[in-house]
Amino acid sequence: MGHSVSWTKGRILLIVGRLGLAVVFLIAAYAKLRPASSGPFSLDSLRLSLSFFALQIDSYQLLSTNYVNFVAHTLPFFELLLGLWLLSGWRLRIPASLASALLLGFFGVMVRTYALGLEINCGCFGPGETLGKMTLLRDGSLLALSLAVTIGAFWTRSARGGDAAVPAPVPQKAE
Amino acid sequence: MADFIRKASYETALLISAVILAGVSLPAKTHGQAKTRRRPVPHAVVKDAAPVKTYGSHSAPITMEVYSDFQCPSCRGLYEQALRPLINDYVASGKVYLVHKDFPLPMHAYSYEAARWANAAAEIGRFAEVEAALYDNQAAWSADGNVQKYIAAALSPAEMKRVEKLMVSCHGAASTGGCPLDSWIEKDATAGHTIPVQQTPTSIITYRGQHYPVTGAVSYKFLKQFFDQLLGQ
Repeated sequence: MGHSVSWTKGRILLIVGRLGLAVVFLIAAYAKLRPASSGPFSLDSLRLSLSFFALQIDSYQLLSTNYVNFVAHTLPFFELLLGLWLLSGWRLRIPASLASALLLGFFGVMVRTYALGLEINCGCFGPGETLGKMTLLRDGSLLALSLAVTIGAFWTRSARGGDAAVPAPVPQKAE
Repeated sequence: MADFIRKASYETALLISAVILAGVSLPAKTHGQAKTRRRPVPHAVVKDAAPVKTYGSHSAPITMEVYSDFQCPSCRGLYEQALRPLINDYVASGKVYLVHKDFPLPMHAYSYEAARWANAAAEIGRFAEVEAALYDNQAAWSADGNVQKYIAAALSPAEMKRVEKLMVSCHGAASTGGCPLDSWIEKDATAGHTIPVQQTPTSIITYRGQHYPVTGAVSYKFLKQFFDQLLGQ
């Protein structure tokens, strides 16, 4: 017999959580980058989607106009990168920590916006999605999942002194 | 060795299953998003309705409908920061057809009254002047309810007389139901509820049959950027 049952269960949960988080980030990136018009994907359609996303960010009234375009043009690609990194599982502690930090930032902004009574488009999974209690609950759950994956990634590493993607040494059971 | 292979196979199978599951759920979710994003606006743009609360040409490639409340500070922000320069630039050059839609919120004591004055002014072709006066002086009439004062300042005495005539049966809460101008306001509000408009301002930008909903006040810089992208398609 190899790993203990709890160790195996922990690893399964970590894999499921990691993949779930990866899918969420990939969907979020796709929703922002997909053509905003009915035409095919092209450089023009990408520019249109990003300028529409900039409108959503601007409506938050949180960032100065100088930063809106920067965030609108980098965030979807960062989410795409993070989604692919999480999917690969390579050095999990890094993408998991980045995902947690990003989701914590999003959640903070959403709570602030909701508290101010600005019931605006959150733009989390593309435009047209109004910020409300359900979006707060959803993003809160995602943050909890991300934190759990981050803790799991660190725990797995410290438990076996290596990285999550490397197979752990098999403890031998006493005969 | 056999143990290691068994464990590796187990993990690989789990990984493949999870990827397949993710692959199955991805198109379903994005399809849902596509529905949200490309939600058809279930009403036609009323281009020939009186009173005229529009700016620019019907044949402009972009139509922007703005559901707003004259007493809402964000609507004022949108008007002052984005719509005013938009009217002077994209509307004047025939690129944008701007449509005002009344969506007075019950939480604002004087917004319905202001909408009545604006509709009365629109009936005599003076909507633009009155809209500007209402937003420019929003803080003042929101405090004391004296909307009429600012309407009078925006119109000539003869125009004001015509507008007052239209407003005869519209003063005060007691007139609810008896004011002919209310039907125009309700028509806009009903159209807004079917979208549904959940806050003011809400703008529906239409280009080549595609609708782009934008909620909240946005800066002219980003509106212009988006319009330039649309027109460059």
